[in-house]
Amino acid sequence: MQIARRALALGVLMSLVGVAGLSCENKAQKEFAKSQGSGNLGASASIKQLMAARHLTESDVEAALKTFVPPGKRDEYMIFASGGQSGQILVLGVPSMRLLKVIGVFTPEPWQGYGYGGGSDKILAAGAQGKKQIGWADVHHPNLSETNGDYDGQFLFVNDKANGRVAVVDLDDFATKQIVANPLVGSDHGGAFVDPNTNYVIETSQYPTPLGRDYAPLSSYKDKYRGVAVFWKFDREKKRIDPSQSFGVELPPYTQDLADAGKLMSDGWAFINSFNTELSTGGTLQGKPPIESGASQNDMDYMHIIDFRKAESLVKAGKAVTIKGMKVLPLAVSGAEGVLTLVGEPKSPHGCDVTPDGTAIVVGGKLDTHATVFEFSKIKKLIENKQYEGKDAYGVPILAFKDAIRGQVEIGLGPLHTVFDNTGNAYTSVFIESKVAKWSLKDMKLIEKLPVHYNIGHIMAAEGDTVSPDGKYVVAMNKMSIDRFTPVGPLYPQNFQLVDITGEKMRLLSDTPIGIGEPHYSQMIKIDKLHPRQTYAVGTDIYTGQRDPNAVDGGKERIVRNGTTVDVYMTAIRSHFVPDQIEVNEGDTVNIHITNLETAEDTTHGFTINMHNIDLSLEPGKHENVTFVADTPGVFPMYCTEFCSALHLEMAGYLLVKPKGA
Amino acid sequence: MTHLAEQRERAEASGVHHLTVLSNDEPARRARRSWTLALATLGVLAFALSFSQSWWKFTLYAPQYPHGLRLEIALTGLQGDVHEIDMLNHYIGMRHLVQAAPIERAYASYGVAGVCFAVLVGILLLGRRTGRLALLPALLFPIGFITDSFAWLYAFGHQLDPRAPLHVPPFTPQMFGNGQIGQFMTFAEPALGFWLSVVGVALVAAAVEYRQRAVCAHCAHAAKCKDVCPVHFLGNPGKLEKSA
Repeated sequence: MQIARRALALGVLMSLVGVAGLSCENKAQKEFAKSQGSGNLGASASIKQLMAARHLTESDVEAALKTFVPPGKRDEYMIFASGGQSGQILVLGVPSMRLLKVIGVFTPEPWQGYGYGGGSDKILAAGAQGKKQIGWADVHHPNLSETNGDYDGQFLFVNDKANGRVAVVDLDDFATKQIVANPLVGSDHGGAFVDPNTNYVIETSQYPTPLGRDYAPLSSYKDKYRGVAVFWKFDREKKRIDPSQSFGVELPPYTQDLADAGKLMSDGWAFINSFNTELSTGGTLQGKPPIESGASQNDMDYMHIIDFRKAESLVKAGKAVTIKGMKVLPLAVSGAEGVLTLVGEPKSPHGCDVTPDGTAIVVGGKLDTHATVFEFSKIKKLIENKQYEGKDAYGVPILAFKDAIRGQVEIGLGPLHTVFDNTGNAYTSVFIESKVAKWSLKDMKLIEKLPVHYNIGHIMAAEGDTVSPDGKYVVAMNKMSIDRFTPVGPLYPQNFQLVDITGEKMRLLSDTPIGIGEPHYSQMIKIDKLHPRQTYAVGTDIYTGQRDPNAVDGGKERIVRNGTTVDVYMTAIRSHFVPDQIEVNEGDTVNIHITNLETAEDTTHGFTINMHNIDLSLEPGKHENVTFVADTPGVFPMYCTEFCSALHLEMAGYLLVKPKGA
Repeated sequence: MTHLAEQRERAEASGVHHLTVLSNDEPARRARRSWTLALATLGVLAFALSFSQSWWKFTLYAPQYPHGLRLEIALTGLQGDVHEIDMLNHYIGMRHLVQAAPIERAYASYGVAGVCFAVLVGILLLGRRTGRLALLPALLFPIGFITDSFAWLYAFGHQLDPRAPLHVPPFTPQMFGNGQIGQFMTFAEPALGFWLSVVGVALVAAAVEYRQRAVCAHCAHAAKCKDVCPVHFLGNPGKLEKSA
């Protein structure tokens, strides 16, 4: 017995040694971490001295402490901002406001190999409008996908105002997966907005044209020109917009502007404002007033109210017509069936933002000093009771302004967009005054105004357009920076200003120059809602999410010639390509199928062939296919364009194109 | 004189001093048998369990691998960042890890089964003089693993492809504790599988010792017999006494 106990004790002891071994490893890791430490600055310079040396006030230091993210630490929020004319999306961290990434969306983006020979060419090609392949975009309003009215961190949608297009970015890998081109109109502004469960991505036209963009003289503006709200059906399972299930709602040519989807009690409704009920078309050379004054004559414009569930059922019931392949619910049907209703709003408004509780819609006055708060329950009741003030020239019913509002708040000169915090306050950008106005939704009173620099356009708050805003931060997205940054020539950067809204008073924390385009809207999401992948399974076609049929395994590399077609099955791994010599004849069609065999994070390889405008980004595991005709005889080095390893420069090879008859 | 005292005296007289003289009644014998078999079975079970576990683990840290690269060696294969480590090793011309110990890995299951079988057979059938041999297969199990692994590490570190981009002098990767190869700080240690095998050895050793010391004293033949009698150990001593 005793011996048995002793033996058991021995066994236990040995197991303990094992545990000790495990803790040893932690020690080793700590040792390693210590050896990698950045060294201590030491407390040599006191903070006061530093402040004096850098001319910092206590308030500056406080702002610095609130925004500083130490080396190696991460931000709390992520901003997805419109990249404006760059056609891209900017990703920034908050509170540091550091640029994390530029996502290629509508414009070729060389770093991501976006639009230089690989699978992304097809995405960009799908964004062609008519016969024109479009090489840029005026990116306006990024919108994150929502589940139950809250960001779910899965997808991002954004519109191109200049060419009437909407793109889908998958946040699994932060890559653009789809561009759909609106076949009806040439420009959009009210988009891309999603309903609370992302059934639809809403895109509303800006400048009216005949639907389908066919020719009609401007003299027929009233009869032939139209606006449209397109409800793009989003198929979450396929992760793509399904144009066959999408439809448009024809609108009068009032030049529709910003839009928002209802939430909670107003779910199923879309709200769009407009600024040209005067139907002005300009004619400056003929001595007529420009649109800017022509469209500003009436005291009221119309906010459009769309019951899109009803629209959807009418489309399903066959009430739609098809224009350029898209189903469109005609204006006459929408007006008669109660799909479309108008309500007066102070002239030339801007911003059309549904409150977090879904009970109200806030419209900025722009040329009026007020923000108008429309009460959804009143609107709904008026529509149900068919209590109309009248109808417009197109037979669309109009609600009386005074019966539809909760009230108006005196904001200041040029109120535009409104976002919300978690304590019932609204924040409106005040363009002409260059201020952020904080006001209470409950008692409709202005609380405070904060100067911003300068000419604030959009404003954005942390998850501020969801059903549960986070408060904490507001970002003023200023159109002008004037004297805020070191001069960089006559084209000035835009200025994103981070504002702390946790205290009683708003506090300006930082200025961030945006030197790539003029951003419009942006959204801010908590980091913990995002779970992007680090690598792909080896051989993945990132546009199908599946293994590419031409994926190449290590050891299976080969060159297959079939007549004048040459298929090169190639792999990339630190620090070589297999094969690294490709010999073809002038005139051959060459298909390169290349798989990055890497599996470790951040081991991206690039691939280029000199003089061929081929540039691929091969993130770990990614597969790409690229086809070209070897029409120029000669010698073309090819190499890896990402500094992948110490032998990166050696990661190279040759394409040899033998001249005909040689 | 009681039966027990008589036995002890007989044993002393025959010079078998080291035998623990225990009660010869049936419950006591049953308990002794049970303990021996239980310890041996637990030991064998530990060996069997170790088969599905990693035996050794290596962790490599470098500036660009702040979370470390991990390699775990089991009896039948490798786990962890094998692909990445192979990729790094190719710079110094080291063979792919999968080429190591192919025969050992292919026959590991038979090996473990064999060890378990040999231990049990030894416990059941060996006599007193040879009784401790039952520990041998158990002991060879972890020692064999270490020896073989070391041999493979040595071979891999000393058979580098001379055409590799980086030329390093031949070396043997560290098998215990901290090491340094280039920018890598390496750390190697036994893993759960190995510790299970050690526990197994300890349990088998306990079983063997217990059996060795406890079995014979009660036997009627103890005075004459210097062997542990396997039949007696398992069988019914009453019958044997009668025949004596």
